[in-house]
Amino acid sequence: MSFTCESLIPFAPEIILVIAALSIMIIGLFMETSSKKLLGYFSVVALLSSTAIIIAKGVYEVELTGLLAGSLSIDPMSQFFKLTFLLVSLLVVIASIKEFEEHSNQDEYYTLILLGTIGMMLVASAVDIVTMFIGFELASLSTYVLAGFNKNEPKNIEAAIKYFIIGAVSSTLLLFGLSYMYGLSGGLTNIDELANFFSMNTELLISPMGIMALVMMTAGFGFKMALVPFHMWAPDVYQGSPSVISALLAAGSKKMAFVAAFRVLLVAIIAMKVEIGILFAILAVVTMTLGNVVAVGQKSIKRMLAYSSVAQAGYIAMVFVVVTPEALTGGILYVMSHAFMKAGAFITVGAVCYVLLKQNSKAQDVDHIDNFAGLGKRSPFLAFSILVFLFALAGIPFTAGFVSKFILFLAVLKEGYLYLVVIAILNSALSLYYYARVVKYMYVLPPASDEKMSVPTPYVIAIVLAMFGVLAIGIVPEPFVNWATSAAEVLFY
Amino acid sequence: MVNDVTNIAYLIVALPVLAFVLTLAFGKKLPSGGGYIPILAIALSCIISIMAFLQIRETGMPIEISSHWFAVLNVGIFIDPLASVMLLMVSFVSLLIHIYAIGYMAHDPAKPRYFAETALFTAAMLGVVLADNILQFFVAWEIVGLCSYLLIGFWNHKPTAAAAGKKAFLTTRVGDVLFMAGIVILFFNMREHVLPHISGQEEVYLLQFKTIFENIALIPSQQLTLITLLFFGGAVGKSGQFPLHVWLPDAMEGPTTVSALIHAATMVTAGVYLVARTFPMFIAAPDSLMVVAYVGGFTALFASTMGLVMNDIKRVLAFSTISQLGYMMLALGMGAVIGAEAVGFAMFHLINHAFFKACLFLCAGSVIHSTGTNDLREMGGLFSKMKITGITMLFASLALAGIGIPFLKILDTPIGTSGFVSKDAIIVEGTYVFAHLSHNWIPFAFGVIAALLTAIYTFRLWFMAFTGKPRQERHPHESPFTMTGVLSVLAAFAMVFGMLTFLPFLEFVGHTYDHEEIHHLAVLGENTIIDHHELHHIVGEASPIIFLLPVVVGVGGLLLSWVIYNRRWISVASIGNWKNPIFAVIARRYYQHEIFIELIALKFTYGVLALSAEFIDRRIVDGIIDGISDFVVGAADIVKKVQSGVVQNYATATVAGVALLGLILTFLSITEVI
Repeated sequence: MSFTCESLIPFAPEIILVIAALSIMIIGLFMETSSKKLLGYFSVVALLSSTAIIIAKGVYEVELTGLLAGSLSIDPMSQFFKLTFLLVSLLVVIASIKEFEEHSNQDEYYTLILLGTIGMMLVASAVDIVTMFIGFELASLSTYVLAGFNKNEPKNIEAAIKYFIIGAVSSTLLLFGLSYMYGLSGGLTNIDELANFFSMNTELLISPMGIMALVMMTAGFGFKMALVPFHMWAPDVYQGSPSVISALLAAGSKKMAFVAAFRVLLVAIIAMKVEIGILFAILAVVTMTLGNVVAVGQKSIKRMLAYSSVAQAGYIAMVFVVVTPEALTGGILYVMSHAFMKAGAFITVGAVCYVLLKQNSKAQDVDHIDNFAGLGKRSPFLAFSILVFLFALAGIPFTAGFVSKFILFLAVLKEGYLYLVVIAILNSALSLYYYARVVKYMYVLPPASDEKMSVPTPYVIAIVLAMFGVLAIGIVPEPFVNWATSAAEVLFY
Repeated sequence: MVNDVTNIAYLIVALPVLAFVLTLAFGKKLPSGGGYIPILAIALSCIISIMAFLQIRETGMPIEISSHWFAVLNVGIFIDPLASVMLLMVSFVSLLIHIYAIGYMAHDPAKPRYFAETALFTAAMLGVVLADNILQFFVAWEIVGLCSYLLIGFWNHKPTAAAAGKKAFLTTRVGDVLFMAGIVILFFNMREHVLPHISGQEEVYLLQFKTIFENIALIPSQQLTLITLLFFGGAVGKSGQFPLHVWLPDAMEGPTTVSALIHAATMVTAGVYLVARTFPMFIAAPDSLMVVAYVGGFTALFASTMGLVMNDIKRVLAFSTISQLGYMMLALGMGAVIGAEAVGFAMFHLINHAFFKACLFLCAGSVIHSTGTNDLREMGGLFSKMKITGITMLFASLALAGIGIPFLKILDTPIGTSGFVSKDAIIVEGTYVFAHLSHNWIPFAFGVIAALLTAIYTFRLWFMAFTGKPRQERHPHESPFTMTGVLSVLAAFAMVFGMLTFLPFLEFVGHTYDHEEIHHLAVLGENTIIDHHELHHIVGEASPIIFLLPVVVGVGGLLLSWVIYNRRWISVASIGNWKNPIFAVIARRYYQHEIFIELIALKFTYGVLALSAEFIDRRIVDGIIDGISDFVVGAADIVKKVQSGVVQNYATATVAGVALLGLILTFLSITEVI
């Protein structure tokens, strides 16, 4: 198979990011810290142009398969997720411009975010298990470093190390599982071919080796998706990392695991023809329940958001139980909605922490819920934004959270899993408790200090963009639903 | 040219919404609290409404814009003659009230909030009027309710104001719940009976008025009666009909301009408009229309008796609003025999009422502004000090009392104040014709007796405030031009609007509904309605007494008031003392407070329902909840212990998870295979 420049054209968005990432790395070597902020703007431009190209090419009906020796394809599914990743990175980069303004290694920071984004985009397009794994690792390695980016903060370092160790274990498991698939199929790496092979040789999948492969892959993806019991790193890391990086992890790299799992696990489940729904039902129920229950007791907002993120992964995991196009539509829509809601929430919390630290540089545990008391008086904008994002996460109507929950739960109900829907709805009700508690702190309790909080513009832009996304999906759901439907159809037809 | 208005119709609502945002954001930095922004915006809305009106009159076609929202729902704008006249009235009266408020609210520090909220209030009301589907109607309707809560409780540092806001919100909420239940039942009926017929058609949406009206025949008639009654329940709440009228008198706690907005242009007329808007559904459910007629007629009478004994100038006007809204409902109810003509009469009275009631409220505001009291007993002899206010209020009072010249008609138009023209139409062409055909004279009696009482309390107010000797040492002065100018405009409208527009108005609004269609729907409801010619025939043959009666009672009431309150030939004290049982009952507002608050609210709802519910709640529900929450918190503690922060444990958990998954999967595959 010949390699020509033309075969690269469909990957213009990724290539732009590669060029941008490498140039930032090199230019950064020759720049003063004070002017490195420009590199942030440069990254914004790169991400925007990448986004523009994807939108210009159309996202509904693109279908290019067998690219780069059959390892990548461009379809509504890949475009949907790529756009999600790009938008999340965009939000994160915009918000970071202020947060890391004085950091001497900003150039590395932006390079790593862009490289991580490329990794995620690669996973979204990958139809070959080896390519997928490489994308996975590219994104993981970048985020390991980013999680510990504030080298002088012990909490950052601790978070990064934990993330790295558990990440390494999980990558091993994933690779192990993938290698079993490779071996069982006699040397196939293309997902479509694997699916064909296994649907004709179902007995291989339910052999001990096949089962091990499936379990290992579930564990490997489950780590990134933060499914119980592979979730334990998530609260520590989300809490310990800079808020913007928590946003990237929760809204970006977590969703990468979902697209990979949709493409590999879902296809494997379809091929298996054995009813293993109960396995994922247990995973989903345990994940959502544990996430919500533990979130109730949290005093740290970031940790609370981390557990809520675990719980939300539990909802999405219901897709693996009910393997229907409708459920997958709901799941995909949920991924995008959750990306906006969670990124918005983390960035807003990050903005609060930033301002609090600015006012008192010795403050400890700035994301403690007590610091949010009376926020409605100190900064109406931030308080209102948190309110919107939390209500969206809880699934209040006219927000993205409601629409995606509605479609997903309805699809699950349609297949007769009443008990799953009941548990999920009870969980949603429980989640409202801890979200509403934050709202109570912000609007009802008296402020800890009367000092007004002025929010730096980059944060405002990022927050407004995320809020726009949350409300757009909530108020005009139809285009997004259609889009998610066409993405879901990729796997089923 | 023609498409111009269609393309900009959305601005009618969008501009006041924009004004709301701008005033809220920048009001503090602008002169007059940013009050000029809503004035400009509403003036533009008014101009666009006029353009829309002209276009509809010229082309005879309604303005329709609809865009897909999701699934079977849409958002859209629908302006037919009915909506068009409402738009004109709402935007014009609201504009005048906003101009007046610049003067009236000049000393209030919270002006930006005031103007922002009134702008939103107006926007929401305009949104109600031009909604093209019932859901959008309901959303705007709810925003109207929210704004009324904010504005009635505008002086929220006053506990009575805050309580009145809450009362208005909660009382109208009772109606809103009924309305919403009606929408839900309608939706299920539409989905079950209508959807199969229209699926596949482009651009057809289930809750669009057009779709509903075209398919009324497919909805079972008992269901239709239920739906329309529930809709009327919503209207009873918003339009202050018995028994949900209790919020309206208290709503006086807000600034007088807000009272004027609520009573004239927005809010209370929304209920009447709801019935008029869904009239095709009501006509097919004649039982509901009879309920509308009786509730309306009774309210008209009941509220006018209470107007007699109130001493707060604004409360008198509040009860008069309730009573006049009763007339409008009564007129709509008469649709059971006179068909769509009823909509014309009700709307005509609504519009006239908007003018003279806005005028009366703003005059009252002017009086309060200068004397600093609401109490009629403390006023008196104001006329010499406040000539413009006195004259304009006299004109508006004449209109409210329905004074006019019977039998005299020029070019088929009756001669008299606007209140005379429209009330006369309701009494003669509505209730009399109804009585003639069904031999049921009760609605007619409601109308005539209420008219008598209306005249008495109206002039009682005027005589007490403006004539006689000042009963208390005050230094009244005339109000500034922004206020008196508006009063003059409104008073002029109150005097001549009725005469000038009677026939063209009825003709124009008559185009709202296709008369044959209405006839058809009436047959569907096993009801016969008469057409235009028959109506004229019956009215033409009516005895002169019928025509004389409304005017006679009006003038009689005026004279009675003059005798009692101006000349004082009959001592007020001899009637209005607590020994007189009738006075006592009325002055205590029919023991409504005792019945609604103490009996129903406190004794029954609180004592029986709430306490028993509380028992169940505390002992049983709380027990379960506490149990669950103890469990949750306990579980969280255990999990927190596992979440030790030691990374080795995390790795162990991962491996254990893998093992567990492997076991489950193995078990599953074995059972499946065997």
